[in-house]
Amino acid sequence: MNARQWARDLAQGVRFAFTGGREGWVRAVLTAVGVGLGVALLLLTTAIPNALAVRHDREMARSDDLVLDTRIPAAADTVVVAHVDTEFGDTTVRGRALEPEGPRAPLPPGVDRFPAVGEMVVSPALKEVLESDSGKLLRERLPDRIVGTIGESGLIGSAELAFYRGGEDLAPYIDDARATRIDEFGFSGSPAEPLDPVLLLLVLVVFVVLLMPVAVFIAAAVRFGGERRDRRLAALRLVGADGRMTRRIAAGEALAGAVLGLVFGAVFFLIGREVAGGVEVFHVSVFPSYLNPSPLLALLVAVAVPAAAVLVTLLALRGVVIEPLGVVRTARPARRRLWWRLLLPLAGLLMLYPMIGKGRGNGDFNQYLVVGGVVLLLVGVTALLPWVVEAVVARLGAGAVSWQLAVRRLQLSSGTAARMVNGIAVAVAGAIALQMLFAGVDDDYTRNTEHDLTRAQMQVDVVRTVPLESAAEKLRRTEGVRAVYAYSEGMAGDRPKEPESSTWVTAGDCAALREVATLPSCRDGDVFAVPGVEYDTETPKLAVPGRTLYLDPSYEGGPERATVAWRVPHGLKQARARTWLTGAERGGFLITPGALPAEAGQALFQEVYVALDPSARDAREHVRNAAAALHPMTNTTTWAATEKSGRFTSIRTGLFAGAVCVLALIGASLLVSQLEQLRERRKLLSSLVAFGTRRRTLSLSVLWQTAVPIALGLLLASAVGLTLGTVLLKMTDTPVRVDWTSVLSMTGIGAAVVLVVTLLSLPPLLRLMRPDGLRTE
Amino acid sequence: MTPPGSLLCAERLHKAYGPTVALDGAGFSIHPGEIVAVMGPSGSGKSTLLHCLAGIVTPDSGTITYDGRELSAMNDAQRSALRRSEFGFVFQFGQLVPELTCVENVALPLRLNGTPRKEAERAALSWLERLEVDDLAKKRPGEVSGGQGQRVAVARALVTRPRVLFADEPTGALDSLNGERVMELLTEAARATSAAVVLVTHEARVAAYSDREIVVRDGRSRDMEHAI
Repeated sequence: MNARQWARDLAQGVRFAFTGGREGWVRAVLTAVGVGLGVALLLLTTAIPNALAVRHDREMARSDDLVLDTRIPAAADTVVVAHVDTEFGDTTVRGRALEPEGPRAPLPPGVDRFPAVGEMVVSPALKEVLESDSGKLLRERLPDRIVGTIGESGLIGSAELAFYRGGEDLAPYIDDARATRIDEFGFSGSPAEPLDPVLLLLVLVVFVVLLMPVAVFIAAAVRFGGERRDRRLAALRLVGADGRMTRRIAAGEALAGAVLGLVFGAVFFLIGREVAGGVEVFHVSVFPSYLNPSPLLALLVAVAVPAAAVLVTLLALRGVVIEPLGVVRTARPARRRLWWRLLLPLAGLLMLYPMIGKGRGNGDFNQYLVVGGVVLLLVGVTALLPWVVEAVVARLGAGAVSWQLAVRRLQLSSGTAARMVNGIAVAVAGAIALQMLFAGVDDDYTRNTEHDLTRAQMQVDVVRTVPLESAAEKLRRTEGVRAVYAYSEGMAGDRPKEPESSTWVTAGDCAALREVATLPSCRDGDVFAVPGVEYDTETPKLAVPGRTLYLDPSYEGGPERATVAWRVPHGLKQARARTWLTGAERGGFLITPGALPAEAGQALFQEVYVALDPSARDAREHVRNAAAALHPMTNTTTWAATEKSGRFTSIRTGLFAGAVCVLALIGASLLVSQLEQLRERRKLLSSLVAFGTRRRTLSLSVLWQTAVPIALGLLLASAVGLTLGTVLLKMTDTPVRVDWTSVLSMTGIGAAVVLVVTLLSLPPLLRLMRPDGLRTE
Repeated sequence: MTPPGSLLCAERLHKAYGPTVALDGAGFSIHPGEIVAVMGPSGSGKSTLLHCLAGIVTPDSGTITYDGRELSAMNDAQRSALRRSEFGFVFQFGQLVPELTCVENVALPLRLNGTPRKEAERAALSWLERLEVDDLAKKRPGEVSGGQGQRVAVARALVTRPRVLFADEPTGALDSLNGERVMELLTEAARATSAAVVLVTHEARVAAYSDREIVVRDGRSRDMEHAI
């Protein structure tokens, strides 16, 4: 047998795939759609690293860090950039005020001219928001005239909200780290910091977990229409084709479907890319042009998918004897062997074993071992599941008719059922392991902000040029505000420069100070020392009546400060610290306005903490608007109970988005496969109905037929998922804790997919049960 | 008009599938224990007549009366119940459920009627014995020959002791020897249980097992007994 004969038989199969009339076309297109969906998902997934890289590059290219190692003087080629970010709802709006200092001032990427004062250029998404009814409150905050849009090169996603506005007199804010002077945009220093090993591990596993079910799906898709094809092959045997030829012809048919699937996949990918450009998932959006799979990966997909189609078909036909008068499947197929199926997960565990206990401190995980180990463990699910299903259904007894029909069907061909649920089992096993890993390391990437959200929910950072009292008053009168606490804060040192001892100074009225400490009594003009706070050993040293301290002392390397001298008064009172709004205790000096030197305003920064009325709608937006009205450079922060590492969150987000796509894809494949099986049994279903079988009985039998393998698949997936999760946690040196909620939710989602598929297959089932199926003419 | 004493009677049946007229005023009647062959060329409408008589297909017009009850007045559930308890079916290709063993296939109609499994399988086994295929009880349809499978199908059709047995080309897929044996067993068993048999066939030697013949052509029926 030579390559030419192979090629001839394959080509013959390709011809058969398209020359079987309407039915042949339908089958080929069905296979191609299945393969195409898988290919599109593969291409999209492999394009994600590139999309993230482009986002990172764009972010770097427009970077304008506030804290720079060296300061540069104003020149013809400098621009002062102030950060004027804001939030709208839960979305951050990136904002910059630009003040060019000369004719050669650099423009940020995506902007072709500097907006004048009172003008701004905005991202297309922000423009849409500002022009919509829902963006009315944001428009109040950003009243500047829109004179252009930011180009794609200046944005990191199609849905990003961003603007550049014209600014003036921004230079004084450089010292406050609210603005920066630069002669070029972009960060050309060190490359992106390497990914934390645990995050790298997460990324690798997320990819494997998302791609494995897609591969399983493609393997299932190339077998669509298998039974009918086998009957056609029997006819070929009749006219003289031998067994091997028929197998190769069958492989050729699958190859045709796979190649057509590649074309469909490319089209689906291009459509998906455009769709992805308009979608924002958990505040992450991309431009279609970001989603370019690496050529090598695309080539790999183009070669691997058709090759896999041929291989899978040849493997699938091993247990089928195609005789000239029909297809013979031994009624009781050879018993599946367990030993080699167990080898796969065991080999996977062996590959992961050397990395156990490495933890984050040890740095690198061997990427190949991680990917190889996880792949083998998950492939183990696909290898073990047919054995488990076969072993269990062989022991199931007969119950009601619907149960008996389902169980007997499974006993006769458990492989088909196992294949149907393999994809879901792999996805669930991987997702359980990842959820465990996420839950385990969650604490490491989540910082408890400790903010006392029962007392204040927002913080407004008021610029020095705005008097604190008037700012507080305006905020107090804002719609939805329950209370405000206004403070001037800063440091007091024993020397104006390079102090040896320093402590906090917090100034505010008596009501505000009572939020910081328990005061014996308070009236304007009082000063309190608050000693005894953890880690504060300086306050007792400095709280000496008559001693001169210096507010806002200067430090070497830092900017020159407007240091103000202040004498500790003789009537200094003692106060006891209490947990402050920020969740921590604050020591140092508490000063009422009457005791504060007039010029202290220059030395202290001003904060207003805002308590909102929980029932007031849009209260946060009103506060942001009031703050922006105080001064365009006022920063407003909305407090949250916890803060997560951005990268951690985006990886977790990626997993959820990917898992949803994969499960939807597998659900679609399940449905197609289910319908295919039902169509094959059309005549039988009709005859069962003819002799009086209730439709409910048949529907229930279909449900059992799917539910039994799914239950077994989910059980196996949970076991493998928990094992893999345990290994991953041990690799990262994290205490092993089973996150039962995620186990239950993932298995629940898997079960829901099956239920939905069964429900969707009921209407066709009922149609197929019509007596028309008995007609032969 | 319904002939006196008839168990199942149809009058002026019309049925069309799209533009194709399958029945065009056909009539039919059968008495208890009688075997009536419905003959005619392919596409003449004989299978459609059988499906209408059995309540599988609803005619566009005309009446079908079974044991004094009007079939077209029954809903789907009532007709299904009737088929479960009063009718039996044999099709050309047996239409056995491939995943069930032969005894389970035969027991299936009884189980659908609520008979406990063991009792149903005992009855099924005795019918397999009567049809001389009891040695196949534990085999699946894929493991038995066409003739054997058809005997299992006959056993399945008779296990509920139906009053009417509908047989649609029961020997159409068998060689003459096997076909004749199946017909012998079928008619013997039907007579032993006093079941009426509606036998659709286009083969004269199969029709020879009947008491009476009706010929269907272009959707119209003609009773050969009355024609003579």
